[in-house]
Amino acid sequence: MSKRITELSFIIGLFFTIVSLVLLIGHFMSDLLASSKNMYAGIAFLVFGLFMILITKKE
Amino acid sequence: MKLHVADYLIILVYFAFVITVGFIIKKKIKSSNDFLSSSRNIPLWITSLAFISANLGAQEVIGMVASGAKYGIMTVHFYWVGAIFAMVFLGVFMMPFYYGSRARSVPEYLFMRFDEKTRGLNAISFAVMTVFSSGVSLYALAKLLEIILKWDFDVSIWLAAGIVMAYTFLGGLTSAVYNEVLQFFLIVLGLSPLVIVALQDAGGWAAIKANLQPELTHAWKYMGNPDANPMGLHFMSLIFGLGFVMSFGYWCTDFLVVQRAMIAKNMGDAQRTPIVAALPKMLMPLIVVLPGVIAIALMQPALQSKGYSIPVSADGQLDYTMTLPSMIAHYYPSGLLGVGITALIASFMSGMAGNVTAFNSVFTYDIYQSYFVKNRSDKHYLLVGKFITVAGILISIATAYLAKGFNNINDFLQLVFSFVNGPLFATFLLGMFWKRTTGHGAFWGLLAGTAAAALTHGLTVAEGKGGWIAELYTIKSGMGQAFIVAGVSWIANFVTTITVSLATKPKPDHELKGLVYSLTEKPTYTQQKWYRRVVPLGILLIVLTILLNIIFF
Repeated sequence: MSKRITELSFIIGLFFTIVSLVLLIGHFMSDLLASSKNMYAGIAFLVFGLFMILITKKE
Repeated sequence: MKLHVADYLIILVYFAFVITVGFIIKKKIKSSNDFLSSSRNIPLWITSLAFISANLGAQEVIGMVASGAKYGIMTVHFYWVGAIFAMVFLGVFMMPFYYGSRARSVPEYLFMRFDEKTRGLNAISFAVMTVFSSGVSLYALAKLLEIILKWDFDVSIWLAAGIVMAYTFLGGLTSAVYNEVLQFFLIVLGLSPLVIVALQDAGGWAAIKANLQPELTHAWKYMGNPDANPMGLHFMSLIFGLGFVMSFGYWCTDFLVVQRAMIAKNMGDAQRTPIVAALPKMLMPLIVVLPGVIAIALMQPALQSKGYSIPVSADGQLDYTMTLPSMIAHYYPSGLLGVGITALIASFMSGMAGNVTAFNSVFTYDIYQSYFVKNRSDKHYLLVGKFITVAGILISIATAYLAKGFNNINDFLQLVFSFVNGPLFATFLLGMFWKRTTGHGAFWGLLAGTAAAALTHGLTVAEGKGGWIAELYTIKSGMGQAFIVAGVSWIANFVTTITVSLATKPKPDHELKGLVYSLTEKPTYTQQKWYRRVVPLGILLIVLTILLNIIFF
């Protein structure tokens, strides 16, 4: 696991997963972020982020 | 444009990640080779994405959107004429020499192929160019953040430079390359929603075509007459100036991009790096040209109700460089706005880090180790490499402040770079494919090419620029002038190199093995599947590129 988190694909996946959570949580919790653009972008980033994490090779 | 907590949070997450990458890579840095050339151990998908990301700096992203708005779909020539063919050529024909010679840098290849003075000339000019480019990139970032977000200029300079310094100092080239890949995805995914939303708002491509003048939606149709197209170019100038001289000069010889292929794990991956990179490069106009075309379409009478317009500068002209930031501000809500701004910051930092890591490799290997301190321990060169990284960032900061004080310095630097870069491909072409080329020929050819570039610029004038010797000839556009300057400098270098080479003694054949095409064993690919072989892949890319040119003819 420790080696896995140093893989670039994992780092990229984690980054986009966090960004997607900011957008999605913001969309549902804050009026300021309650735009469908945030929701769709958040879902797309989440799918991409999880995909990158999943394809990271297990050491 | 006003950012909120969520936007700042996304920017902070990005900063935290790029610095974390530096710390992760730091553990793997044991030698100067690890720090300066990644010990040739980077997987293909990373080298390929880093290859195009090193070129995906802010000048590229913001500049191409601006060109899309100003020149329309003709801007795709910078990709479908000015990139793909050269990238395929680099992968198929040139990488075997760069990688096979075990040279650690492009100037070092010139030393092995020619002599010390040719390496010195290339190394010094490249080092100066990269470090100043890095400074100009930093200045542009701080200026943009000052204009659109009202951030303090000094804070932006030191914050951005500090972050780039942190991760390049910690992890060297590998860290820069890893972050370039992260930046690539951020730029592509961060700007994709903008293209989708703006395209939908404009009514789709059919509505854009219906509302724009036809010369803005055709790439080639109006290029038979320079007066009939917005670039003011004839197609022959474009093909020779951009498609051959400038394109091959940049993609095949600029160490900043070639370095990304030179750190691949093996020869096959090194050759495949520019070829795999060519596929996303081919599609990049969707992200960086299309928004500009959409922006200008939205300003047409039928679409003015959409409420978007390109900002106007103090002199009343459209400020095309603000097209992308203004579109982000117009279409992105808080949250996505943070992603868009982070993508812009990433593009600046990507350009700066690429320049700094190329600078420290060339300075350490080709200047310091070659001219000043030879035969010291590896630890010594590792320390020097780290010191040069810091020095490169500090010079970049000084350049950024210089650019702030003297607006014209950006134009001046770009001009000098074009004088030096323009003729370079002739040296490599002759050096790699004509074994009779000598070191004296290469050296004097480079000097003659640079002098010819300066002379051509001094005798021609376009859009008020040039003509500093005499205004002998007027060219309609600055871009056309750049292509002509590059073309003349290339021919001057080519002719001088051949002439001097024929009058001087060449190196014996045994010293040129692995450095010249006719004396190098050709790689065999017959046992590999077709999609792993560079020639079929290259042909496929060229066919796709030609098809795209026909579709948007």
